[in-house]
Amino acid sequence: MTQGSGSLLVQAVDAVFADADGASIHALQQVSAEFLPGQLSVIVGPSGSGKSTLLHALAGIVVPQRGLISFGVTVVNQLDEGRRDAWRLAHCGLLFQEFRLIEELDALANVLLPAQFKHTKMPAGMRERGCELLERFDVPRRSIQVAKMSRGEQQRVALARALLLDPPLILADEPTASLDADNGQRIAAALQALAKSGKTVVTITHDDKLVARADNLLRMQAGRILPSVEGESR
Amino acid sequence: MNPIPLIRAALVRHRFSALAFVFLVAAGVSLSVAVVSQERALKQGSTLAADRFDLIVAPPGSRTDALLSGVFLRPSSSQLLAPALSAALLNDSRAVSVSPLAFGDSVGGAQVVGVTAALVEHLSGGLAAGRLFAAPNEAVVGYGSSLQLGDKFQPAHGIQHGGERAGSSDLLDAHSVTITVVGRMKPTGSPWDRAVTIPVEQVWLLHHLPTGHDPSAQHLGPPFEAAYTPGIPMAVLQVSDLAAAYKLRSAYNNKESMAFFPAETLVQLYQLFGDIRKLMSLLALVTQALLLLSIMASVLILFRLLLPQFVTLRAIGAPRSYLFGFAWGFTSLLVGLGVLLGLAGGYALSFGISAWLSQQTGVSLQPALGAHELLMASAILAVGLLLASLPAWHLQRLSLASAIKLN
Repeated sequence: MTQGSGSLLVQAVDAVFADADGASIHALQQVSAEFLPGQLSVIVGPSGSGKSTLLHALAGIVVPQRGLISFGVTVVNQLDEGRRDAWRLAHCGLLFQEFRLIEELDALANVLLPAQFKHTKMPAGMRERGCELLERFDVPRRSIQVAKMSRGEQQRVALARALLLDPPLILADEPTASLDADNGQRIAAALQALAKSGKTVVTITHDDKLVARADNLLRMQAGRILPSVEGESR
Repeated sequence: MNPIPLIRAALVRHRFSALAFVFLVAAGVSLSVAVVSQERALKQGSTLAADRFDLIVAPPGSRTDALLSGVFLRPSSSQLLAPALSAALLNDSRAVSVSPLAFGDSVGGAQVVGVTAALVEHLSGGLAAGRLFAAPNEAVVGYGSSLQLGDKFQPAHGIQHGGERAGSSDLLDAHSVTITVVGRMKPTGSPWDRAVTIPVEQVWLLHHLPTGHDPSAQHLGPPFEAAYTPGIPMAVLQVSDLAAAYKLRSAYNNKESMAFFPAETLVQLYQLFGDIRKLMSLLALVTQALLLLSIMASVLILFRLLLPQFVTLRAIGAPRSYLFGFAWGFTSLLVGLGVLLGLAGGYALSFGISAWLSQQTGVSLQPALGAHELLMASAILAVGLLLASLPAWHLQRLSLASAIKLN
């Protein structure tokens, strides 16, 4: 495996959790993978196969017990929590199945949130960038509370929020699962376009239409990445 | 960092809970502020009311009763000084002036008090209108009296107690004499503003007592003749200086009489009330602290409802300090608003209580927010801001890895 400046490298990662009864669950077992910039990487697998744990580990939310997760020269899982937060804020844009927007805020305020974690005053140009992103993703009603928007619009607002600080890495957790077919396609197309623009995009999904767009397809089962089948990885 | 948009969003989402918290804090602060403000207003009002009563001489007994009766015109069944002592007292040349106080009659619910013209002049500091009484059937009314200059009235025997309306159990029996109002006092801020003063000789006459003078005498006021002076319930002495005041007090503190400075007796009362107030203030502060703690516990429960939001924020890169800032800011805002509203509410409450008490007692009360109340509110605010860090600290300890699976 080669390690490019925007590539995300996973090496022999193990993650073990205790379930409610105290029994150990091997969520990730010797997982190794590389996610390259310019590619839309799609992870598929049955529920409980470790997809979400892997995605959370890639984002520095979950810290595996063994192995390395590095992005460029940064070994993410060796950073302390504060630095992981800062790294995630600067390098990761996250998308969730249920959007996870602040419903009482309007679209633009939601998009601008990441810029306010560290700055009391909105950094110059950030508001304009937020507006431009909403426009790009076809959300013209930016002063409306997101709770009053359609689900498709809400996910596009979430996508704009993820891109506000122009992170090189986009991590999406079943981003089309709660959308209708049309809106699902729009999000899938947007993720593909982001990958084409040079970002490293990793998504987990059960959506065949999103799988069909994958440049790099990984299958997981029981905490392991299955060997790729010829012709699946493009 | 700028958590204000999130605080605003949380306030919108939980507006009713937030309002309830603000109201609870405001109610607690209001009560504490009102107690302190009212206590000071009462002190100031009663001090002002007693200000012109230099020295009171009355039969031995309760100074407080005599004070309430003489200065605050609260009806009481008082003993009388012996006639000989009364005459000697009224003619004591060591005082600038000595006036008896003779009670027992009323007009339209207002006390009719028999005094000398000198006392009216002294209490009022010059009249607001008209002149001092110069004949037994003339009266000077207090500033707030409903009687007007030129009005005529017949005093009734008996006094309406405690603000009860006519027709109560008080026995009112009109005297046959008709008295004309010739003057109005300036405001004194005391129950004397509602009283009607007439020459003491008239009161004695109405009650079939000697009038203090030989029947052939034409003048009112001192000197009084010992042979014609009845026993009096009390006398107010105006003194020239402190030394004279102490001499007179000493002279009339014996088996037959007691002499006291109303201001001194008030101070003793204040000390008693002050101790009670300190205890009440302490209890109020403890109550406030418990209230704030219970609000913090409620806020913590409220925050559990917001947990998915917090998880999201942490997931998209918000540092722990941002969540702390949000939670602390949210709670502090509620406490701060509550304290501010409480100050305003406390003033309003004190204002209302003062108006009611003034109406009941005639003592003019001027409530205000003083340093003590502001200090107390600041203390509550400081404790509130400190306690607000508890739910904030709890929240920022959130384990993102665990919480994101559940939320």
